[in-house]
Amino acid sequence: MLRVLLAKDLRRAWRNPLPWLINLLVPLAMTALLGLVFGGKSGGDSLGRIRFAVVDEDQSVLSDLLRGAAGHGEGGRHLEPVFMEREAAGREIDGNRISAVLIIPTNFIRNYLTAREPVSLELIKNPAESIHPAVLEELLGAVVTAMNAVGRNFNSELPEWRTAFEGKVDYRRIAALIERSGDKLKVVQKFVDSPLVVYEIEPPVKEINSGHASETDSKRGSGGNIFAYLLIGLSGMFLLFLGQNAMNDLHHEWRGRTFERYQTLHVSALPFIAGKVVFAVAMLLICATVMLGAGGLVFRIHWREPLASVTLVFSYAGFTAAFFAALVALAPDERRAAVLNNLAGMALGLVGGCAFPPEQLPAFLRAHVTPLMPSYWFADTLRNLQSVGAGIAWGWVAVKLVVLSLVLVALAAMLFRRRFHAGGRA
Amino acid sequence: MSLLKVQGLTKTFGAIRAVDSVSFEVKPGEIYGLLGPNGAGKTTTIAMISGLLRPDGGEVFVAGASFWADPQKAKRIMGVVPQELAIYEELSGRENLEFWGRMAGLAARDAKTRAAELLEALVLTERAQDAVKTYSGGMKRRVNLGCALLHKPKLLLLDEPTVGIDPQARLNILEFIRQLRASGTAVLYTTHYLEEAETLCQRIGIIDHGRLLAEGTLGELQERLGGDRLFVIEADFKNVSPDAWAGFRERFRVIQKTDQHLAVAAIGARDPSECLKELLGLPVRVENVTLKRPSLNDVFLQLTGRKLRE
Repeated sequence: MLRVLLAKDLRRAWRNPLPWLINLLVPLAMTALLGLVFGGKSGGDSLGRIRFAVVDEDQSVLSDLLRGAAGHGEGGRHLEPVFMEREAAGREIDGNRISAVLIIPTNFIRNYLTAREPVSLELIKNPAESIHPAVLEELLGAVVTAMNAVGRNFNSELPEWRTAFEGKVDYRRIAALIERSGDKLKVVQKFVDSPLVVYEIEPPVKEINSGHASETDSKRGSGGNIFAYLLIGLSGMFLLFLGQNAMNDLHHEWRGRTFERYQTLHVSALPFIAGKVVFAVAMLLICATVMLGAGGLVFRIHWREPLASVTLVFSYAGFTAAFFAALVALAPDERRAAVLNNLAGMALGLVGGCAFPPEQLPAFLRAHVTPLMPSYWFADTLRNLQSVGAGIAWGWVAVKLVVLSLVLVALAAMLFRRRFHAGGRA
Repeated sequence: MSLLKVQGLTKTFGAIRAVDSVSFEVKPGEIYGLLGPNGAGKTTTIAMISGLLRPDGGEVFVAGASFWADPQKAKRIMGVVPQELAIYEELSGRENLEFWGRMAGLAARDAKTRAAELLEALVLTERAQDAVKTYSGGMKRRVNLGCALLHKPKLLLLDEPTVGIDPQARLNILEFIRQLRASGTAVLYTTHYLEEAETLCQRIGIIDHGRLLAEGTLGELQERLGGDRLFVIEADFKNVSPDAWAGFRERFRVIQKTDQHLAVAAIGARDPSECLKELLGLPVRVENVTLKRPSLNDVFLQLTGRKLRE
């Protein structure tokens, strides 16, 4: 019977493909949009180089050093500083050609080294961009924290540094200062270094042996890619909305009396609901493939643990379809259900940490509500699979999602039966 | 033995008693008409018989067994045609029939064969491959009817199957139902069209406000009015009461009285000309007297005090 029900829905979808095409196009468009905004064509971490202006009004030796260092080495892979006057920088930002302007004010270094008065750097972010200015802001925050740490721990050394930079620069003296500071740092290292939690992605064995990554390896992309994190969250959110759209067909069956006709032939509503859910899952898997597959290509994400990932997506798609089937059973009238479905979908996505990192949620939600959200189970596990790889207990999460789906399908069938018996359609 | 037996069926929605102790039987090869205005309780009765709705009271027996003892078995015996179209507009007529055939438990090949037979019988073969959404109202109604017949049900429940279609399409459907009856199918047919009940049904139950007011053959129902003749007198009855006329109530049953009309049926087997003479002798200025055969509407009028179409 399930096969007949699925064949019927497939025929109907084939004859009226527009709703499903829209469902397929939405993730595709989202992926393309993200790719365009964040520069999916760039290599490595896919973030692209961040072009920003530096307005150096201090013109000190130290700022010259900073100027020289900013665009080179590891920083040069991600940052593209351009030095210019304040007015020119304003024009660049107005023309949307740079992500931000960093202004080093006059006497910045002198005031910092003498600790005579508080010093500040100025960052003007391009309002037309979101990610790049935010990254720069974070970087600047790290620089300021480091400068504060240096200011506090090397307070006694700073006047000497100032003398070394004033007038004709005495590089011999600067070298001696660096050496002395280095020695001091070694002694106090364990006290000044805060116990930072870090992670690192192990380079391939080949890379360790040869000392550099091969071209193939660099092209393969990173599993811990920030876009993988974003894309997983977005997929979690979109699958909820697509599940809701897919289950609208159950509303149509209710309104069109075909569900009622089915009930005149059969006692149980379970096969009918199960057929709808299975069909929706199949369509959701296609959408997820488009979104995660195309997104992976655009952002050069190497999806780790494909079997685990596919199983998780499959079980989450099942949950999504079953969840909205149960909601349709609760409120079969489309107009009433629209509000309920939207709210439920939004709540699941937001509280489940799909729309933004769960760490950003209020403490109560984070501690007591988010861990209960199936959307969180899905997104968090898939993210962990991406960043850590093997060793994540994804099987248990998939089982939980599948069991929950089955319970929700049974609940939907029971609710519909009760609704029929109570005279919902008489 | 009755194929369908309904005993004291009752259903209440809040304060409204939609069906109130309704009882009737339908025999094989019989079309039983449930006649009543909109909101009389016809659809609710069908919903309870088909198991869609749980009755608050009463019992439904299908082929001698209680429906709720084995609902799936009872459902296999029945075919239900809902009042509203319950078909897939995107699918063709053939696909709809085949799908509902499969849902009724037929094998793929049997569903195909049976769908072809029904398309032929319902004069739909030419458009069988077209999507139902391109069909006329009458054609959609025929598909809606056909979808309930794939598994050759012994008992067919038809809930106002001709609502909203043109007279020709209605005649086609009625003719098809007559053929079903001839093949031995028991049919429960709800309608608010008097002519359909009069011309199609062997027995008729008149239902209003959830209660079955009367049932029987057309002749039996007409007999309730006092035979097969009805006198309609046109006169000024504004300030007149038939109760004031000596012996009138003993000789005539008043069916309806308005300011201009008085419809009466003679009590007992009496000569029409005698009746006419008596009516002309009434103390009112009679403008016209019509003699007619009582219709179901007159029966309904007598039972409820209002016309069926009001």
